[in-house]
Parts: sequence; structure tokens; C-alpha cells
Amino acid sequence: MSFFWIDFFQCTIEGILTGILYGLICVSFIIIFRTGKIFNFAQGEILIFGGYFVLTFYSLFSFPMWLSLLAAFLCMAIIGLVIERTIMRPLIGQELFTTMMSTIALIFILQGLTIVIWGGIERPFPVVFKRGAIALGPFFLKRSLFMGGVLSVVLMGLLFFLFERTRQGLKLTAVSEDHKIAQSLGISVKKSIAAGWVVSCLFSSFAAIVFLNDQAINFTASVIGLQALPVVLLGGVESIWGAPLAGLLVGVGGAWAAFFLDPYTGGTMSKVFPFILMLVILLIRPHGLFGWKIIERV
Amino acid sequence: MALLPSGIYFETYNERKTYIHTRPQWACFIIFLLLLAFLPYLVSLRFLGFISTTYIILIAVVGLQLTTGYAGQMNLGQSAFMGMGAYVTASLALNLHLPIWITIPCGGIGGAILGIIFGLPVLRIKGFYAALSTLAGQIIFPLIIFSLPLKMFGGALGLRIEPAKFLGITFVSDVSLYYFNMIISLIMIFFAFNLLRSRTSRAFVAVRDNDIVAELIGINISYYKILAFFIGAFYAGVAGSLWAYNLRYVGVDQFTLFFSIWYLGMIIVGGTGNLFGAILGTVFLRSIQEVMNHLGPFLVRVFPKIGGPEAWFGGMNILLGILIVLFLIYEPRGLAHVWNTLKLSYRIWPFPYTK
Repeated sequence: MSFFWIDFFQCTIEGILTGILYGLICVSFIIIFRTGKIFNFAQGEILIFGGYFVLTFYSLFSFPMWLSLLAAFLCMAIIGLVIERTIMRPLIGQELFTTMMSTIALIFILQGLTIVIWGGIERPFPVVFKRGAIALGPFFLKRSLFMGGVLSVVLMGLLFFLFERTRQGLKLTAVSEDHKIAQSLGISVKKSIAAGWVVSCLFSSFAAIVFLNDQAINFTASVIGLQALPVVLLGGVESIWGAPLAGLLVGVGGAWAAFFLDPYTGGTMSKVFPFILMLVILLIRPHGLFGWKIIERV
Repeated sequence: MALLPSGIYFETYNERKTYIHTRPQWACFIIFLLLLAFLPYLVSLRFLGFISTTYIILIAVVGLQLTTGYAGQMNLGQSAFMGMGAYVTASLALNLHLPIWITIPCGGIGGAILGIIFGLPVLRIKGFYAALSTLAGQIIFPLIIFSLPLKMFGGALGLRIEPAKFLGITFVSDVSLYYFNMIISLIMIFFAFNLLRSRTSRAFVAVRDNDIVAELIGINISYYKILAFFIGAFYAGVAGSLWAYNLRYVGVDQFTLFFSIWYLGMIIVGGTGNLFGAILGTVFLRSIQEVMNHLGPFLVRVFPKIGGPEAWFGGMNILLGILIVLFLIYEPRGLAHVWNTLKLSYRIWPFPYTK
């Protein structure tokens, strides 16, 4: 094989693994949407928050790794509950515009908190998954992404089962269709949204660990949350199993865009590729590959 | 709103449409304008600069209010449209040496074209999907600038331009720039208020409230949705032109998502769907920003343990976020509603009941 093909396949493999990461972030968006019809723009900030908690418990309090992960998950669950109680609960039954603006405000609050508590400087993130790469013939797989990929596929399977095959999941889905109708059918909208935020925060902190493993962490890393938006759209905001699939498409597409086009655009193509893709999706198939096509009545 | 001072009633629809009904209201309005005109003689230069920048932001926020507040099309890219206006103006002024009465409208058109491009998806989709397309516009904006011809648009280096000249006056001092911004801002706000009394604005409101019904009663919703983006982004473009002439330097990092969200925050705090609210919200949030700019470094000195030098920036973000959330929850109709309530309770005093 020539070098070109080795490079090409290597970048494809990396694209697949990045895609799984995108899928993971995207699932945490979708959980919030599927439980409360809230489109959460602040997902990236929540992810960074999870990362900083792990960092704080591990590096500052020098807990062992398993304990600091556990503590971070616990803190994130509490944060999810606090967000639900203070911001989302008073806005139950409001229009989409209102809840969307409230999550945009949440971006500011969480980002500000990150800066005030942890400062704006870059810090090294601890090594959670073992360093190094798995060799696969002439190719190399980054161990953290690989482990993260395997784990996230398992977790997504569980979520899919929860949402599509159990009675509880069906109740959550009803809330995402219409708050008032769900409430009148005896489903607790409050509990549903709270559950969504907690699970989503846990997922985000897991994604943070996979994403930041052995890298520098800074509040600007939260842009990954916005970069995952096209994936959410491609999969469809309501579809859990659409997320990993769309993640793969975007990851590989982004890797190819970087591989073929970056030399001509000075490295900016890979950054904006997801957003160009997003525009194309919006124009051609706005509800995504597996989203619900909602028919409106007057 | 329905309550008017005693003895005021309308005999024609045109009378009903006026904004200023009585002679005392005219007097107040003229005194207010005179106050603005003589402000440079009354306040310090620093405060003047603050008001001067507020005029520019005001134009962009009024445009956003027309798109988002009146026509109901969520726009997360106002800052990018403003940037496009700034770049077009700077490029025309630098390369072709055109006078400002050509460059500023051209800047507006430049912003409007970008607005239409990223507003196009609203023909097929609505709600947060449409918001995402403007978000994409905001993030792609630097790439658009970098891919335009380097000689004309300066790429990553940005553009440096000469000060604006009009009728032999060179707008370079703070005071002259104040008048420059004030006059253009007043003209733009005047047009916006006039637009509100037209068929266009009523169509906007119909599209916002329920676009399916609007279509059923014969409003061309595609046309009006695109028109909303055109007008809003035109305002942003004009604001960008003023920005270019004020700073005399244009770069892509002056027009980020951060500012787009600030502008949205301004219309929420002021009152969504109320033009006067946009003005109140802009002034209110700009004042908070200015206070934080003064107070921030002081607080960091008093509490050096927290955060570090960026802490006040973080603090400002938290404050803005909390303000938006509080207004969404407790006063969704914004400061404009508070203002109206106050006005009404003054009118029916001493009776306590206002509704």
C-alpha cells in the first residue's frame, strides 16, 4: 500500500473514533430533548464542567481515580438537578423559544462559573484510560477513544432499550411531545425533565472523560458542544440510535474534509465542516435521518 | 395601553397611529432630543464614548428586534451580519475611496445579503432548526471573510480605514463621532418605528403568532420571513458600518457568537416584540456591562483568591445569564412592560389598580 492509502485509512479510523465521541455528546443532547422538549445549547459547557470536576477531585484533592470519577458523577447529577429545579421547572409548558433562550443563558452562567472557579488558564487533564495506542496492522487506534467508543456503544444500547422498549421511556417520550398533554395524562413533567437532566449530565461527564483524556482542559474546549449540533440534526433530535450513526458520518466526513481540503483552506475547513453540513441537512432534510416528522395542525 | 390621559380621543385612524399624542409629550420628546444633542457639553468623555457605542449596538438590536421580536424568526447570527456590513464598508472605503453616503448603505446591503443567505432555510423549517442555521452562519462567518479576496478584504489581518468624511467634516474626535452615531442611529430608529405602523409589520406579527393561519388569510409567509431577515440584517450591516468608522479597524474576532447572544439578551431583557423595549434593554445591559467593567478589576483586587484576572469577565457572563433567566421566568414581557405599568399607574393615580 502506498503512503497515501495508509494516511487515508488512518484518518478514516480517527474519523470513526471522533464520530463515536460526537455520538456520545449528541446522545446527551437527545436525552434532554426526549424527556422535556428542551434543546440544550449549553451541552458543551456541561461537558467541561464534568471534566473540571474530575480534574479537581483527582489533582487537587488527590482522590484515587475511581473515587474521583464517582465523586464527579455525583456532583454532575446534583448540577443537573439544580439546573432543572432553578431554570427548567419554572419554564415548563413555555414555548420552544423561551426554553431555548434559557439554555443559551445557561451557556453564559456555566461558562462564567467555570472561569470564576477554575480560572481561564489551561490545565492538564488526568489520564483516565491508559495512554498509548492499539496497533492494528499498519494503523494505530488511540486507546482512550477506542475504550470510550466501546463503552459508549454499550451505554447507548442501554438507553435505546430504556426509551424504546420500556413503559418509563414511553412516558418520558410523551413529555417531549407536549408538556400539557403529558401532564393531563398523569405523567409528572417535573420528574421527567429532572431525570433527563441527571442522565444527560452523567453522559456528558463520561463524554468529557473520553474527550479530554490526557489533554489540556480550558473553558474554550466547550465549543465541542456546538460542533456536535450538526450530528444531532443529522440523526434527528428525537432518535437515540440515529446519534451514533450520524456521529460516524460526521466524524468520517470531517476527517476526509480535513484530509483533502485543509491544504487549500489553511486548516479552517475541518473546523467549519460540521456547520456547512448542518446547513445542507437543514435545507434538504430538516428532521434528520431518523427524526420524527411532525405534522402541524391549526 | 388602552388608557390615555383624560380628554384624549381619536377621530381618525391616522390619529390613532401617531406615537406622540399630546403637547406635553411633544415637549418631553423635544427636551430629550435636545439633551442628547447637548450631551457632549454635559458629561465626561468616557461616558460620552459609552453612549456613542451604545448608539451603534442600538441599531443592531433594533434590527434583531424586528427579525426576532416582531417576525418571530430566531436569529443567532446578528453579530456576523454586523461584521459583514463592517467588512463591506471598510473594503469600499479603502479600495474605492467611496464617500460615506454610499459605503454605509452598501454595508447595510452586505449584511442583508448574508442575512438572507442564512435566513433561506426558514422557507422550509422553523423553530430551533431555523435558529441553528443562523448559528451556522455565525460560526462560518470567519471562513467567509478569509475566503473572500485577500487584497480586498484583508483576511485574518483585518482592515484599517481612514476616518469618515462628510460635507468637509472629518469624524475623528470623540465628540464628532458621537454626533455621527447619534444622527444615523436616530434615523434608523425612526424608520423602525415607522415600519411598525405598516402592513409589513402587521404581517410580521401574524407570521410570528401563527404562520399557518397567516398563510391561510393570504399573507405570503415566505416573502415576509425573508423580508424580516433582510431588514434585520440590514440594520446589523449599518451598525457594522458605524463600527468600522468608529474603530477604524475591522477584524473577525470583533464579531463573535458572544455578541450575538448579548444582543438576544438585550431584546429579552427589554421585552420581546416591543421596539421601545429593545432600546430600554440595550441601554440597561450596556450600563451593567459598563459598571462591571469598572467594578470588575476592583473586585479582583479585593478578592484575589477567586479565578484570576479573567474572573470579572466570568462574573459578567454569570450576571448576564442570570438576568436573562430571571426575565424569562418572572417578566417575560421585559422592561418595556415594567415601563408601561409605571406609566399607567401614574395616569390613574391615586387609584391603585393597574392592569
